[in-house]
Amino acid sequence: MNLVDQLEALIFVTEAPVRIADLVRVLGVPEGTVEQGLELLAERHADSGAFKLVKLAGGYQFATKPEYAELVANYLQPQRSKMSRSVMEVLAVIAYRQPVTVADIEVVRGVQSDYGVRILAERNLICEVGRLDRPGRPVLWGTTAQFLHQFNLPDKDSLPKLELGGLPPTAHDQTPLLMEESE
Amino acid sequence: MANRALAGNPNLNTLGVVAPPPILVQTPAFEGTLATLFRCVREHKVDLLEVPMEPICEAYLCYLMESPAANLDEAAAALTVLAYLLERKAWQLLPVVEEDEPEMDEATALPDPTTYEYADVIQRLMENHDERTKLFFRTATPQLDLYEIPYDVGDVTAGDLAKAFERLLRRANPEPVELLAKPRKSIQEQMKFVLLALKPSYQRIEEMFVGEYTRTDAVYWFLALLELIRLGSAQVKLEGEEVLFAKK
Repeated sequence: MNLVDQLEALIFVTEAPVRIADLVRVLGVPEGTVEQGLELLAERHADSGAFKLVKLAGGYQFATKPEYAELVANYLQPQRSKMSRSVMEVLAVIAYRQPVTVADIEVVRGVQSDYGVRILAERNLICEVGRLDRPGRPVLWGTTAQFLHQFNLPDKDSLPKLELGGLPPTAHDQTPLLMEESE
Repeated sequence: MANRALAGNPNLNTLGVVAPPPILVQTPAFEGTLATLFRCVREHKVDLLEVPMEPICEAYLCYLMESPAANLDEAAAALTVLAYLLERKAWQLLPVVEEDEPEMDEATALPDPTTYEYADVIQRLMENHDERTKLFFRTATPQLDLYEIPYDVGDVTAGDLAKAFERLLRRANPEPVELLAKPRKSIQEQMKFVLLALKPSYQRIEEMFVGEYTRTDAVYWFLALLELIRLGSAQVKLEGEEVLFAKK
């Protein structure tokens, strides 16, 4: 059996991103071979068919190509919920400073942030990753694989580069911003 | 009266107080018995901040687990010592109020919020999110949760099952006094027993029991039986007013 076909079969049947380590374990071939196979598989689907291979949340998964997005959305009618600017701020602070306590987030934002933390935890975008060893043992928060998945990120290292020490915003930058969240 | 009762106790120390049992405590900062640690802490010979409490609590729990018939007065004395040590350490760990506290009218400078530094990355993340909304993945196969699988119990209602359970409970013996740290029973284990007791022919739940049983036994037995019905390993039917069970 062809390795690329085997990879295709394994990735097709799974509903979550498949990690390379799992593919190595199941196929019994070296990691480099799996990576080469995945490249060939991505090429196979790049030019034809409705699917493409995407690297997301630490693994590989098949997804429909963006050109079919409207068609599929019309059929599936996905529920979209909005995430406010303040919640996005909380998420960004957690993503870039994790593991982080609510108090740390509040120092960065200058406002109370427990609501945002609760909303993000309910949406499974963040989770408890431990407790800080200091009085009160506050919860430490970090992002989840779901966060990587929803924000189209292969892994935590792929976050857009954060440049600290920029200038404070002007009034123009303060306009509220809403985004849509799929699923 | 109480003093007279204690007078015959060989564990009384010179102060007329029951001495804690010789629980050996081994920590990097202190090694000895719990009673010695207590004395050393009170006499400021040992800095409790350097003594981790976890191994001490572990030692106390081991003492309770390994000596189920331990003298209750001794165990209580050990618990008192442990509580004293924990409280004292907790007080020591609390932050000390600075003497030169700032005056009330001197506003403490709060750090300026620096959220604006994240504005660019938030924008980039949202663009990523927009791209991601154009991708669709295989959705989960509609798998019914095991607990939602409809199972056929014929005419038997929840009320009938409750009546069978009530009858079982009425015949149960009172619970014997159990020691603390009694091992927890698992329904899975109980299911094995129930499966062995079930017969291919229908029988009442009481008929499955051999000998005496307690209310807890009855509860475990009934829950295991329900679980077996749910998994399709047991079946139930109504005969007149009787709820009967059988192996499937």
